Amino acid sequence: MQPRRLRTRLLLLGALLIAGLLLAAACDDDEEEPEEAAATATTAAAGETPAAAIDISGVSELDDGTLTVGSDIAYAPLEFFEEGTETPAGLDVDLAQAIADVLGVDVEFINSGFDGLIPALNTDEFDIVMSAMTITESRSQEVDFVAYLNVGTGIVVPADNPNNIATLADLCGLTVAVQVGTTQETLVVDQSDQCDEPIDVVTFDTNPLAVEDLRTGGADANLSDFPVAFLDAQESDGALQVIDTQIEPAPYGIAVRQSSTALTAVLEQALQAIRDSGEYDQILATWDLESTALP
Amino acid sequence: MLDALAAIRFDWGTVGDFLFDPVIIRALRETVIIAVVAMVLGIVFGLGLGVMRVSRNPAASGFATLYVWFWRATPVILQLLIMYFGLRQVFEADIFRDNWTRWRVAVITFGLNEAAYMAEIVRAGIRSIEAGQLDAARSLGMTNLQAMRRIILPQALRVIVPPTGNEFIAMLKNTSVAFAIGVVELTNAAKIQSARNFKVMELYTVAAFWYLVIVTFFSILQAELERLLAVGERERPETLFSRAMTIMGSRRGG
Repeated sequence: MQPRRLRTRLLLLGALLIAGLLLAAACDDDEEEPEEAAATATTAAAGETPAAAIDISGVSELDDGTLTVGSDIAYAPLEFFEEGTETPAGLDVDLAQAIADVLGVDVEFINSGFDGLIPALNTDEFDIVMSAMTITESRSQEVDFVAYLNVGTGIVVPADNPNNIATLADLCGLTVAVQVGTTQETLVVDQSDQCDEPIDVVTFDTNPLAVEDLRTGGADANLSDFPVAFLDAQESDGALQVIDTQIEPAPYGIAVRQSSTALTAVLEQALQAIRDSGEYDQILATWDLESTALP
Repeated sequence: MLDALAAIRFDWGTVGDFLFDPVIIRALRETVIIAVVAMVLGIVFGLGLGVMRVSRNPAASGFATLYVWFWRATPVILQLLIMYFGLRQVFEADIFRDNWTRWRVAVITFGLNEAAYMAEIVRAGIRSIEAGQLDAARSLGMTNLQAMRRIILPQALRVIVPPTGNEFIAMLKNTSVAFAIGVVELTNAAKIQSARNFKVMELYTVAAFWYLVIVTFFSILQAELERLLAVGERERPETLFSRAMTIMGSRRGG
């Protein structure tokens, strides 16, 4: 066909394609909203009504009615995706939901790499971080924390424990797989400095990859938070075991921007509310993690 | 607008601290070593594969085509995961235990991946030599392989070198995905450090700086190599170095 007619037709085709894509994107959003509203309605009705409602009018982050939570959703049983779905589940998810119910808002979990969570929080990517994050001095310089759980480190080793690992000191000279940016990484690096023979610390972006390295023989041990270590051993079909002692228990905290003082205050109130009402203990019991309750 | 500029949080002190930090320098060395060794593997294997691709032997060309197809179709990070975790899971054999270290797997995987791309570059180079050359060589009594080695490939090199240099530069940067199997190279070292001191932009700046330095260095090397190979051409490509030589009055720079 003539050049001008061809060009017009191509332009029309291009415009239709773009319009089609935009329409598809818009349609997807519309479909999601009614579902979310329905979900919130049922949880609000099913949840316990607090004795005294918490005033969130001064909290700017909650003006949109949603508490956005940044989390590395690959850390069962604290946060993980239900098998074959994109639905977050876990202890942190349940606690976040309970807190959001008390505050009268929705909760939305956003998956993000663990080592980038604090920088992302400080650039307003989400309202809070709830990702089994231990409260440490260096982290406290970047963000504020609301303590909500008390957890130690667990060591996972092959089932027959060929290196006879019982304590941190036994890791000297071995290869240890950890997740980047975790307190376990710091723990092992510090231990290595005290060793005669240094520890080969191998870091991965996610903990499951670190466990995989242990499983396939690339590492001699893996360190993670005790509930996670315990579950990894349980689900390994007998290939792995967890050493019985919890190392250096420390509180987990919900991370909040240092400028978000109003949000921190209502979170503390909400947490206290669910502890008073017994819901906190109920949730912990659901996950067999009563031992990690805040003292 | 001035408020936004004043609110910039960037600590040049941290950049200075980490620019020559031994951990960063060691990681930089890892990057270069992995890239160089993998590239050598890739070139050697890719050269053979490229020749096989144009071969009239169906077994050779078939294998080469399949190889290129697989290694170009899958992302290199997936290849790393398969080669390291996947093979270790599937095979209980000793070879996939103590000797299958993450560093070796990274180099081998990058090398095998690169071979597929080099095969295509070599094939393009061979194709760029007019058929008359091969006919002339054969009429002199050479076998295809001899013709390839003595006549075709040496000429094809001029077409092969520029994209190969490009591939090497891409390789220097692609090594960063080796973090998936726990290998620490420049990007990952910066990432690990930034996770400890929360100075992400500062550490990334350090990494970017060093990438710029090594890529510039190898680009200059490549330009000189191209100039060398262009001996006898009417218009030899000028490089910064050759221009500098001319300016300084050395006749050989012209």
